[in-house]
Amino acid sequence: MKQNLDQVRNIGISAHIDSGKTTLTERILYYTQRIHAIHEVRGKDGVGATMDSMELEKERGITIQSAATFCTWKDHDINIIDTPGHVDFTVEVERALRVLDGAILILCSVGGVQSQSITVDRQMTRYNVPRIAFINKCDRTGANPYRVAQQLRDKLNLNAVMIQIPIGLEIDLQGVVDLVSMKAIYFEGEQGDDLRYDEIPAELNDEAEEKREELLDAVSMFSDELMEVMLEEQEIPEEMIHAAIRKGTLSLELAPVMIGSAYKNKGVQSLLDAVNMYLPSPTDVENIALDLDNEEAEIIVSNNPDDDLVALAFKLEDGRYGQLTYIRTYQGVIKKGESIINTRTGKKIKVGRLVRLHADEMEEIDEAGSGDIVALFGVDCASGDTFCSKNINWSMSSMHVPAPVISLAIKPVDNKAQVNMSKALNRFTKEDPTFKTFVDHETNETIISGMGELHLEVYIERMKREYGAEVEIGAPQVAYRETITKRADFNYTHKKQTGGSGQFGRVGGYMEPLADEEYEFVDEIVGGVIPREYIPSCDKGFQASMKKGTLIGAAITGVKMVLNDGSFHAVDSSDMAFQQASKGAFRDGYAKAGPVIMEPIMKVAVEGPSEFQGAVMGSLNQRRGMIVGTFEEGNYTVVEAEMPLSEMFGYSTTLRSLTQGKAEFTMEFSTYKQVPKSVAEELVKAYQEQQKEA
Amino acid sequence: MGYEPLVNQNPLRVLNLGRGSKQLGLVMARAGLGKTALLVQIALDSILRGNRVIHVSIGESIEKTKSWYDDILQFILQEHSITRPHELIEMVAQHRMIMTCKEDTFSRPRLEERLNDLILQDIFKPNCLVVDGFDFENSDRSTVEDIKEFLESMNQQAWFSATSHRGDDRVSPTGVPAPCHEVDDLFDTVILLKPEQNATIQLEIIRNNGTASDLGSALNLDPSTMMVKEG
Repeated sequence: MKQNLDQVRNIGISAHIDSGKTTLTERILYYTQRIHAIHEVRGKDGVGATMDSMELEKERGITIQSAATFCTWKDHDINIIDTPGHVDFTVEVERALRVLDGAILILCSVGGVQSQSITVDRQMTRYNVPRIAFINKCDRTGANPYRVAQQLRDKLNLNAVMIQIPIGLEIDLQGVVDLVSMKAIYFEGEQGDDLRYDEIPAELNDEAEEKREELLDAVSMFSDELMEVMLEEQEIPEEMIHAAIRKGTLSLELAPVMIGSAYKNKGVQSLLDAVNMYLPSPTDVENIALDLDNEEAEIIVSNNPDDDLVALAFKLEDGRYGQLTYIRTYQGVIKKGESIINTRTGKKIKVGRLVRLHADEMEEIDEAGSGDIVALFGVDCASGDTFCSKNINWSMSSMHVPAPVISLAIKPVDNKAQVNMSKALNRFTKEDPTFKTFVDHETNETIISGMGELHLEVYIERMKREYGAEVEIGAPQVAYRETITKRADFNYTHKKQTGGSGQFGRVGGYMEPLADEEYEFVDEIVGGVIPREYIPSCDKGFQASMKKGTLIGAAITGVKMVLNDGSFHAVDSSDMAFQQASKGAFRDGYAKAGPVIMEPIMKVAVEGPSEFQGAVMGSLNQRRGMIVGTFEEGNYTVVEAEMPLSEMFGYSTTLRSLTQGKAEFTMEFSTYKQVPKSVAEELVKAYQEQQKEA
Repeated sequence: MGYEPLVNQNPLRVLNLGRGSKQLGLVMARAGLGKTALLVQIALDSILRGNRVIHVSIGESIEKTKSWYDDILQFILQEHSITRPHELIEMVAQHRMIMTCKEDTFSRPRLEERLNDLILQDIFKPNCLVVDGFDFENSDRSTVEDIKEFLESMNQQAWFSATSHRGDDRVSPTGVPAPCHEVDDLFDTVILLKPEQNATIQLEIIRNNGTASDLGSALNLDPSTMMVKEG
């Protein structure tokens, strides 16, 4: 590891599914000599690309887990996080983005900016991640990097500037023209290892000049020096242009656009050069920690290896040798054999084995300096935990984690599966904060919940493959909620006399809708009509009632409970009596407060050829969707809609058959909305029948 | 509709414009004076009366177009106390559909196909169309006539925006500037937006429902919302 942090890059590679992330990563590892042969993602040799470490990923040709890997390129250390490309796994993407300093946004030169790219780009903007765009697959039929660059400007609002233009396209792709040095670069040799620099082909001269002008115009905004040299019409030093591009990129006001074809071994080395030149080092980025001993005051981490250690566990993985915890250090040095503290639990742990990862292979190291990404062995923690030296108690700011929207019941097929299933679930919930599991005490079923159908499917597959746990699965259930729509008073007396001391408690007050919050309890009791010691009992009783609504048994949210009246009995009142009284009061008030059912609404984007637009809109409309808008470009259309999750089961099959498999869709959680009356009636009926059966 | 009083500062309401079902309207101004905001006001006025509107945004994104509505709705919500603001926002979303496309993708056959997709499948039946960003400069009279004819056949009210340029002095006999000086007679209503001192925008109505008008000369609008400025 470099002592000089200026030569460290922590980067992610993010993009739409199938735009070639894994292939690109594979090539990067090859050129940086971390691997010695190139495998294809869906290779005939059955080996698969090195970064797709999970069998499942190899089979589906997609990357689900973000494995971190380390390589060096021209005196720079580069840590690469390979990020998943499906929206169902966006927490993985977001967690990866949290620890990155910069990213490569890969785009397909044919498909261009697709809806997934838009989602990923929005996440990058949220985490202030500077990025370089790489327009991949320029060897494919229909490749048009210029159109994709324009889409970066139009659809992502990036100030995208091409710093290369292609020499030939599609099958004739030969190399690129570097607009900074004004040289042609050819990638020769069987694996494109040999770079040959040459004069720009005559037929491209005019275009190169024109594009260079555009580049200089755009980057001169970031350098007064450059502007001056340009005005004086002097020879512009290359370094000056590089410095200006870097400045623009770091400020997120410029996105340099590179082109190539990873599959054909073209452009990858130039991209690596650009990573070194334009993407930030750990010291270029400001990261914030919260001081837990000082009311979570914000502190900027120092990046200084001499300071106390601050490190974030951003990823857990269960390997053959036990739990592997990926961490990013923000300051200080983590050393083998030293003690560090998990600031969430306060537990002290000893750093055992410390490794640097390259997908399935690992390299033992003794220490890792600030800004580095490494992994610890056998540490018990959850992802998102912060580790510090004993002198400080900081936490890296919490990550945005959405609540799960879909759940399904799983049942192990035999005893062996039962044991393995518990192990697997324990692991998955630690790895992924959006994946949750619990046992429904009424049905005795194990329920898993997450962010979408595919999200849960992948975990079920993993359970089977990695843990040998075969499970039967129930139908997916939407996570409905209940809430109230108006204010209602309550006044309830709980009285029981069954010999010996009885139970007595009366609570009075009102409940009302609460926007943006789940629950609030307000104590307005005066004159001791309810003794102090029983006030928390009332709160407890109300909260217990919130767990299960009376309409369909869904959790209740958005309720404010105000307690302002009551009475007690010197002998018969107790904690239990007031809890019971509060439950009764809640039940009474709830019935009068206009309870309604809420359902998760997803933001859905369907993209495909325009000829299918009508059919796509029809299919969305049939599923109770609200079409927000359409975007059309050439013969390609995106339809954006807000859809109830409950109507989206099996939509991928419908869409495939409607559009001959030419359209695809992405889906992410948007908000909760009240279900229409007719649907609510059906839900209530189904719930009542289910209750009767039970 | 209970929301109608909300838009009483809407210039259209004040002028009682835009009620004819087949009416074709045009909003003209130089860049940056608030054509889109006025079109959004026209759309909101129609929506709050219970109609459905398709907002065609040429060269803009869905997100950006949506944010125009969100901003003006926020303003309305600030000015008026509404008990259930989310219901109003929801209602507007349900009565509006945004169609965005590239400059070269907008044409009569495309529009016809899209509207038919929506109407025949009973997905969305618009009463009013607003078209923002139509390229009058590179469209000849027959193109505009063609679109007008189509909209009339669909019995649609529609509003277009057009950008005039400082250096271009060409005007039609009725005072409509280029690039619409040769097609202005195709529109039943033509509104010009002009910047005024004291940071307001003046609304000049050149033609209202086919007759010449000088109604608007007294109307000053707040440039950020295109609402009538009081006082």
